[in-house]
Amino acid sequence: MTSLRIAVAAVFLLIAVTVQTSVLPQLAVAGVTCDLVMIVVVALGLARGSEWGAIAGFAGGLLLDIAPPADHTAGRWALALALAGYIAGMIRREASAGPVGPLGVALTVVLAAAVSLVVYCATGSLLHDPSVDWGEFGVRLGISAGYDVVGAIVVIPLVLWVMRRFVPVRERRRVLP
Amino acid sequence: MLKDLGTPAKGLVRSAGLPREIRRRRAILTLVILASFTLIVLDARRSAGSPVEPLRHAAAAVFGPLESAGTSARQPVDNLRDRFAEVDRLKAENEKLQADNEKLTTELRSTDYARNRAAELDRLLKVAPTYTITPARVIGIGGAQSFNHTVTIDAGTADGVRPDMTVLNGDGLVGRVVRTTQGTATVLLIGDRESTVGGRLNSTMALGFVSGRGDVAGSLDYKLVDLRARPKVGDRIVTWGSSGNAPYVPGVPIGEITTVTPNQGTLGSTAVVKPFVDPTRIDLVGVVTGPPARPPRGIVPPEKGGG
Repeated sequence: MTSLRIAVAAVFLLIAVTVQTSVLPQLAVAGVTCDLVMIVVVALGLARGSEWGAIAGFAGGLLLDIAPPADHTAGRWALALALAGYIAGMIRREASAGPVGPLGVALTVVLAAAVSLVVYCATGSLLHDPSVDWGEFGVRLGISAGYDVVGAIVVIPLVLWVMRRFVPVRERRRVLP
Repeated sequence: MLKDLGTPAKGLVRSAGLPREIRRRRAILTLVILASFTLIVLDARRSAGSPVEPLRHAAAAVFGPLESAGTSARQPVDNLRDRFAEVDRLKAENEKLQADNEKLTTELRSTDYARNRAAELDRLLKVAPTYTITPARVIGIGGAQSFNHTVTIDAGTADGVRPDMTVLNGDGLVGRVVRTTQGTATVLLIGDRESTVGGRLNSTMALGFVSGRGDVAGSLDYKLVDLRARPKVGDRIVTWGSSGNAPYVPGVPIGEITTVTPNQGTLGSTAVVKPFVDPTRIDLVGVVTGPPARPPRGIVPPEKGGG
């Protein structure tokens, strides 16, 4: 069951990276695309907890770092998404007595978007990447977070539903709607 | 610091988990963070000898075809995007469009995606008629929230594409190739902050440098070498070319000057350039893979019958 779950998560991440780099830029709002990989990582974190969130975030971020057209130092998205996934997992655990409601999910996505973008840009600043522009950061983060919530409405229920089908019976009680 | 990340907030403890679980969770977080930092340190200089480079090649081999396939599903998405992005412009053009409606409808029925591509290719050939051009499609675009302006194209070393080659399309200069694999190449757009192109004012032939400002519209800064030269609004800028035609070939249009501000306290002025290529709408591009068929200079024969 565990290996099957890992395979399903890996397929989700592969699809997310492909779609985020090839299809979603066509739907960009002011140049900002939907962070589909981040949403999938948050969904996995919400479905399976912090460990899954952190590892899925690292794997998905690494794919984003090395898949073309990435041209930045590898490891930056990996670190950013690992932290985002971990935080999503923490939120699931704090609220595990009852299911995380739609509002909770939306807030988690906004928080994860903020954390991942801040970490990504901060590492860029530390490495003296000239493309990071903190003056523009607020605007981009706002658009990005809003867009991610829209994307999450579609993606997170899908991921949660699929992951729930691969969950042992003894855990069913704790799983989100 | 990590201690706090693993413990649940007070008052919310419902299933805090066994200490063993918490320890494991913290260990995994630490491991993942350490792994990320290791990667960053290993790849910090992004040189060709970086240990991450084989990974990039493997990823390009996997994601190149995937992105290519994803892009094929783009025509409906294209239409959708146009609907989102162009509402304002469409409103302004509505009246004119209504007048042309009948003609456009007829045209629309006979125009398909492939024909658009062919037209773009035609214009590409007009921009750079003397160079050997390898056409390619854009299959991946980086998001603005990562502040990098790079795209993936579906031509690679197998098609003769190498790093430091000029990339252009029917409107003008797109950027240059920074990284290639067997079947894909990464292109740094001229709007990126890391990009600098030598540009020549069309009107006075004055030389200067065009560098990206990193904003979404891809606008550029233009600084002249000759401090006394005065760029004017509406002046056009073309590339002046690099030695050996790499990374930029001469004579490719870059953009048009929109505003000029005198530099505070020093000589000279800075101009903002609007590029001819809209970086959010590039689709079919050409990579200059070969020199001109012959040097682009004719012979001036002595005038006959003179004297």
